[in-house]
Amino acid sequence: MADKVEKKGNKTAEVLGATYENGKPEGEEMGKWRQKLGNREEKLKYLKTGERYWFGEEWYGSEKRKNPA
Amino acid sequence: MAEKEIKSIDPATVEMIEKAASEGVSIAFERAGKMTACPIGAEGSCCSICAMGPCRVPLPRGKEETPEEKKKRRGVCGATAETIAARNFVRKIAAGTASHGDHGREVAKVFLEVARGEAPGFEIKDEQKLLQLALDLGVNIGNRSNKEIAIDVGEILMKEFGKQEGELLMLKRAPIKRQEIWRKLGVAPRGVDREVAEAMHRTHMGCDQDYQDLLLHGARAALADGWGGSMIATELQDILFGTPSPVASQINLGVLKEDEVNIIIHGHEPYMAEMIAVVAQDPELIAYAKSKGAKGINLAGMCCTANEILMRHGVPIAGNFLQQELAIVTGAVEAMVVDVQCIMQGLVEVARCYHTKVITTDRRAKIEGATHIEFDEHKAVESAKAVIRAAIDNFPNRGDKVRIPSYKTDIIAGFSHETINYLLGGLFRASYRPLNDNIINGRIRGVAGVVGCSNARVTHDDVHVTLVKELIKNDVLVVETGCAAMACGKAGLLVPEAAAQYAGAGLASVCEAVGIPPVLHLGACIDNSRILMAATAMVKDGGLGDDLSDLPVAGAAPEWMSEKAIAIGQYFVSSGVFTVFGVTWPTTGSKAVTDYLFKDMESMYGGMWAFEPDPMKIAKLMIDHIDKKRKALGIDKARERVLYDMAMRRELESV
Repeated sequence: MADKVEKKGNKTAEVLGATYENGKPEGEEMGKWRQKLGNREEKLKYLKTGERYWFGEEWYGSEKRKNPA
Repeated sequence: MAEKEIKSIDPATVEMIEKAASEGVSIAFERAGKMTACPIGAEGSCCSICAMGPCRVPLPRGKEETPEEKKKRRGVCGATAETIAARNFVRKIAAGTASHGDHGREVAKVFLEVARGEAPGFEIKDEQKLLQLALDLGVNIGNRSNKEIAIDVGEILMKEFGKQEGELLMLKRAPIKRQEIWRKLGVAPRGVDREVAEAMHRTHMGCDQDYQDLLLHGARAALADGWGGSMIATELQDILFGTPSPVASQINLGVLKEDEVNIIIHGHEPYMAEMIAVVAQDPELIAYAKSKGAKGINLAGMCCTANEILMRHGVPIAGNFLQQELAIVTGAVEAMVVDVQCIMQGLVEVARCYHTKVITTDRRAKIEGATHIEFDEHKAVESAKAVIRAAIDNFPNRGDKVRIPSYKTDIIAGFSHETINYLLGGLFRASYRPLNDNIINGRIRGVAGVVGCSNARVTHDDVHVTLVKELIKNDVLVVETGCAAMACGKAGLLVPEAAAQYAGAGLASVCEAVGIPPVLHLGACIDNSRILMAATAMVKDGGLGDDLSDLPVAGAAPEWMSEKAIAIGQYFVSSGVFTVFGVTWPTTGSKAVTDYLFKDMESMYGGMWAFEPDPMKIAKLMIDHIDKKRKALGIDKARERVLYDMAMRRELESV
């Protein structure tokens, strides 16, 4: 959401304000991001992409040039 | 050894030390003042492993030892100061590895019982972590139920403790180069118990008497902790109780409540604490508490159990190791519920001066004079209710000596290595890349793991807090576990706002962008394996070398006291991490052994130990090491960025 509009020369730009919600999270379940992954298929897919350091099918990074462990 | 003048930098602790003194209660702070540590034992020069001794072979004081004097420094059997110091050191590693290993075994046992439906009340909470382990261990997933998968995972991991040959399965998680180093040195552990048993055998009278060979096995036993027992415990706990995510809570004795039944859960293994945290919300029990005149039930944690239930339930922490007796001194604790490790026997004597019930719950850890209510995982709910009822029944016995310090601080905890990965990139591009990029561009200088205990021989919390403030001021991101994390929590370092107040400009800018504190709480001391995994992810993401020893990282346990800390330090050093310990160093009786640990290990493992009690000097050692690694990686100076025009490109292609 735009907090204010700033003018610079002939151009105007919308200045974005804070996009987070005020206050502290409440309840035990708040902030538990792993619950965003609904079913087993999504969880396995995340492991292969998000946790690709160990579970990715194609590897990149420092160990690409090495033989597989 | 560092002399202490001020007992603690924590005002709540100081207030309760004074209260204890005014009420004539003996506590660890006072006993440490009255009893000097044995100087011969402190330097590892006392051998008590056979009945011809104990033999004392201390270094001569205040002068350089002559070769003749050195020759005379032998036990009755002829054991040299080197053998004696190395044996003592390896036995500490064995004890630490055994403790974490036994923790891991108990968790594996409960895990299997849950999977088989034999432990009602518990469930598999984190399917994703279960799948993660299944992939790791090659367990078939398919359309099988979580319980079926869990039985296979549990059975495979349970065998890791008693395995006799081969390698621990978790070693495969380490960077490839690190695995090769372990294999080349012959220190890749076979089974957790096997390495502990062999360490005890080797250090028996008249067995392994070559200090280098002893220390080689010390590394193997320690690796069986970090990449074995500890890692298994952490992973299975995550499956059973949930992988930690950031949670807001509070810390210090001020979390106790004057008008509620205060129950402190203290120790290390989380399943009993987990069940108490769940059952304490039972309306029937809350009504029972009200019937006794209390307004409710207030749970608080102490020591590493505190970290476990903080990360997963947001249960506040009453304090770290040295505050356990002081919690009772408030006069407001109805029950101190304990399981295993770091439970001071002094609790019972302190409790006699107030109304507090010390309740032991584990068959392996009973204390004379305490009430024993054994936790049975097959009847988990009933066991937890029995403990809570005992606490509620004790509420009317509260005396008139109640004084709860007003101090408590906001904290954010629960940064598992998976959560750091998620926070840095989000659900669809989770990655350690932003961390590596910011290390390469110099906004973050490096990463430090500051862990370990608190120790009555130094000013409580001071070494931790001074060290960590100096590190983050110098743009070093700090990850913490155990009582070290609690010290920094009390000092206000575990909240995002601390970045602007204490961190250098580079680190602060990254913390602000991601929304994380400059000091990340990664859990209990068993969870140091999370730090190993985070460091491995940094290596695997690329740009910072091929191995853990290439990373600009360092570790410290500046207020250590337990044998577990030595095992932890040794597995970090054997994994390639420079690690500094404070307070005292247990091998100074032998220059050769100390040199091996402080110098020779670096050429073998890429990591080495150091000892330094002064927190500012510890920070300098760690920062110097981080800078040395940055230089080796070629990221010590900002490089000029050149935009190539077409002519320059053509020139490149023609080469």
